[in-house]
Amino acid sequence: MFLVVSMRRKVLIGFGLLGVLAGCKKLQNDANVVLPTYPNQLVAECYLESGVVPRLSITESVPYLDNGQAIAAGSQILTLPNGQTIQLPTDVTVSLTLPGGQPMPLRFSPGIDASTGKYYTHIGTRAITATAGQQFGLDAQDKRGRHLTGTAITPTFIPIDSVKYKFNGLTGDNKKAYFMTKWTDPGATIDFYRLMLHKGKPANNSETDNDIRDKLFNGQSYAQVTTYRFRPGDTVTATLYHVDSLYFDFRQSVRNARNANGNPFAQPSAIHSTVQGGLGVFSVLVSDKRTVILK
Amino acid sequence: MLRAFRPYRLFIFFLLFCTLPKASQAQTQHTFSGLVRGADGLALPGASVAVPTLNLGTATEADGHFSLSLPEGPQQVVVSFVGYTSQTLAVNLRHNQQHTFTLAAANAELAEVVVQGQQTLKEKLQSTQMGVEHLTIREAKLLPALFGEVDILKTLQLKPGVQSGGEGSSGLFVRGGSADQNLVLVDNVLVYNPNHLFGLFSVFNSDAVQSVDLYKAGFPAQFGGRLSSVVDVKLREGDREKFVTTGGIGLISSRLSFEGPIQKGKGSFIVSGRRTYFDIFTRALNRANAGKEDYSPIPDYYFYDFNAKANYTLGEKDQLFFTGYLGRDIFGFTSPNGFQANFTWGNTLGALRWQHVFSPRLTVNTAASVTSYKYNLGNSIDQFSFDLGSTIRDYTLRTDFDYVPNTRHNVKFGALLTYHDFGVGRLQRSSQDNSVNFGADVSYTGQEGAVYATDNIKVTDKLQAELGLRATGFQSAPNHFGGLEPRASARYSLSDNIALKGSYALMYQYVHLVSNSGASLPTDIWYPSRLSVKPERSQQVSSGASFLLGGGKFLLTDEVYYKWASNQIDFRDGAQIFANNDLDSQFLFGRGWAYGNELYLEKKTGKTTGWIGYTLAWTKRNFPPQLGTTGINNGHDFYPNYDRRHNLNIVVLHELNPRISLTASFVYTSGAPTTLPFGRFALQDIYQGGIQAVPVYPDRNSYRMIPYHRLDLGLVYKLRPSRISGQRDLTFSIYNAYNRRNAYFIYFEQTRDKATDKVTGYRAQQVSLFPLIPSVTYNFKF
Repeated sequence: MFLVVSMRRKVLIGFGLLGVLAGCKKLQNDANVVLPTYPNQLVAECYLESGVVPRLSITESVPYLDNGQAIAAGSQILTLPNGQTIQLPTDVTVSLTLPGGQPMPLRFSPGIDASTGKYYTHIGTRAITATAGQQFGLDAQDKRGRHLTGTAITPTFIPIDSVKYKFNGLTGDNKKAYFMTKWTDPGATIDFYRLMLHKGKPANNSETDNDIRDKLFNGQSYAQVTTYRFRPGDTVTATLYHVDSLYFDFRQSVRNARNANGNPFAQPSAIHSTVQGGLGVFSVLVSDKRTVILK
Repeated sequence: MLRAFRPYRLFIFFLLFCTLPKASQAQTQHTFSGLVRGADGLALPGASVAVPTLNLGTATEADGHFSLSLPEGPQQVVVSFVGYTSQTLAVNLRHNQQHTFTLAAANAELAEVVVQGQQTLKEKLQSTQMGVEHLTIREAKLLPALFGEVDILKTLQLKPGVQSGGEGSSGLFVRGGSADQNLVLVDNVLVYNPNHLFGLFSVFNSDAVQSVDLYKAGFPAQFGGRLSSVVDVKLREGDREKFVTTGGIGLISSRLSFEGPIQKGKGSFIVSGRRTYFDIFTRALNRANAGKEDYSPIPDYYFYDFNAKANYTLGEKDQLFFTGYLGRDIFGFTSPNGFQANFTWGNTLGALRWQHVFSPRLTVNTAASVTSYKYNLGNSIDQFSFDLGSTIRDYTLRTDFDYVPNTRHNVKFGALLTYHDFGVGRLQRSSQDNSVNFGADVSYTGQEGAVYATDNIKVTDKLQAELGLRATGFQSAPNHFGGLEPRASARYSLSDNIALKGSYALMYQYVHLVSNSGASLPTDIWYPSRLSVKPERSQQVSSGASFLLGGGKFLLTDEVYYKWASNQIDFRDGAQIFANNDLDSQFLFGRGWAYGNELYLEKKTGKTTGWIGYTLAWTKRNFPPQLGTTGINNGHDFYPNYDRRHNLNIVVLHELNPRISLTASFVYTSGAPTTLPFGRFALQDIYQGGIQAVPVYPDRNSYRMIPYHRLDLGLVYKLRPSRISGQRDLTFSIYNAYNRRNAYFIYFEQTRDKATDKVTGYRAQQVSLFPLIPSVTYNFKF
């Protein structure tokens, strides 16, 4: 679907270019848009991993065209090195509920995780242990009456069976390889996956990032194949996450919402948060990794 | 589902009563019937055949035939047609009589280029049918067109009550209906996707089309299967006297037609073809830039279509007609690295119709037809391949009777049966070594049937009514549905120049379009009514008044309408619509309603013709919480993106002299509703490396873009005919003459400091699609 929409956009742009040749004037202009009042909401982003101290960020959503003017009492602006600003509420109390039912308070201590480079606002007191099927809870409450909650269940571990790459028959800059990641889907359950391929150190700007459901290959072996995009000497890491349906829906809705901003043919989607009382995601990550150096 | 609709009993009784010979009709009646055609032998549909002394008249059918029931004795029959010299025939009716009228062109030079087929304003005033727009290819060919591509569907967008899907789109949104709720027919055969090039052009080649009727309300009972409109396109018949070649060379496409007699006087044929050549330029550009770093090749794109039509007279009472169409859009891409993608889509249709005249009072047309739409998207890399497609194919048998028992009644009745073959989704991923091999194939069949009867009754000299009933049924095992669709319209003449009209229609739609893009895409999937997907249903009432002004030169019409619909279909957020064997779970169901007022002033004769249309309208939808969702727009009413509060169209055609025609069209509409994000939040994702701004969309279509307006100008210059080149003209168009920056869409983006590249804030950007676009087309005929 995205390919079709993208093609339509390319063709229209092509015809638009014909128009530019004729009209000799810009087809894109500033628009004076006055948006209705938008009440800020709490936003949680929390990915738990077994053996890791839990860290999460609690931020606020803001009016889209706000450039820091709409800051409320109890919140502060965090300016990132690239100039981007994030609104942080400083009056939020957060606690996790562990699988046995015992609470783990997370203290407000904004910082950067040295291992991932990610920002966080709250941090736990010790590493957690998560085994398949265990449930965690999240509770975040500020002094302005906003209350965000969520639960997440630990998925089962699905191993990568194999990875494979193959170069095309070209030489020089055109010599590129496709990369294939293969795993086996369990037949008894409806399963969702996220497969990321990174070159070098894993970061968000992954080479490929696919959300996959097992509807068409339930209980079978499945292989995800890229286009020819990797060069000789690349270090490629494949990370396969076995995720739950809530996380999958959240990712899909974020993707649809982002695609709709700037694409007149896409239907905008509301954000399907995995939490209640605000926006965001609360999930337990279980993954398998394979790293290969392409020769 | 089968609803007992009490009024139908009354209607059937009324129908039977009306068709019985009346004792009061003491004077002997005879049928005067025949054919009206031009000097080239082409039938002239819509020509007026009248007996002024009796205040009786009719218009010829699509094949040029007419039938009048007249009292015995001497009568003066006047036959007229815009662009042709009128004829008067004195007949002394002693028995049923037939006659063929051959009209000479009023202006030979003009009529050679122009095919006309217009009701006179007087006939339109007197017609019981309301909410109908008749358009000839003459008007469409004269009017300015985007890239010079004459498009009869886009010309329909200039009529009141019709909205386009957006800048440059040939989509039709009629009185609050969506694009898939139009019944688009070519010579009575359904066309599933009437668009080329993602909706920028329609599938109708202007050389092959004769005329189009758009019904917005008071739908005649012979039409059904869609909720909101009927777009009835008639293709042109070939010249019965001589062989003729017609064509045109335009900015993005060329076209060629060839026509002539099959056996002189017995029949004729016409074949037309058209192809774009955008791909020729892009291939040359790709070759010129091959090997350059960072150059991304432009994909190939082109479309072509072929039309064919033939007719053959088997005898005095029998004629055969054949109609065929094949159109394909082709999009191809091959990367230097070896990745290939191909995407093709298009319609194919064919129909064979047999017309038999039992008597001058009774004619039957029986047709067998097939129509299909399919798309296929495939790509491959090394040993791996991916293939996605969908098909719908219909086989239809229909028979339509036309019976004129006496001067007061014109009865039509008939039946149709369609077998639907839905290839809803086919997906296959495979590899040569079988390491990847899975797929899905979701398909259904369905049978749709209908019987109908309708009578146009002249109750008194002032009151005329058309009452019809259509019974429809659909089954896609194990589910079956049915319904009665009453249709009624009436006209009451307050005077010779003022008529009041009203109509009611109930429609069912059993086949649904699956598309969540809100735009016409080739990946349209058609889906049958099933247990969880009930037939869509709509009802419309409309009323209006027509005034003949200026001694019959102008017709002013005002119509109000109210339409309400149930079982309207939309999709849950992020719906998976491709190769999903549980597609039923992706639908959401709701209600819709539309109301408005259309004011229309038209002039059809003289050197200056044209129309002014103004529409004030509201269209709303409501999808309440259901199936574990919050519905759409949290269950609150919302405006679909084709809702427009105000719409003004002004079209002027002026014949400066026999060789130069000037045209202009102006469009003004209120801003289109669109969905904008009111808020945003930051998302880091699993790994560090850039924070995304995620838009939050609280409401659907709650923001209005700026109003749309545009002026187009056109000029048709007829070059002097010569023996070698025949007749020729140059058609000049200027689209968007004052270079208005209309909003196609709005998006939000980050602003950055040019020196540091740091984010400084956010702003809204408005994107326009087409600025001023001049074009020229060379047309020829020899």
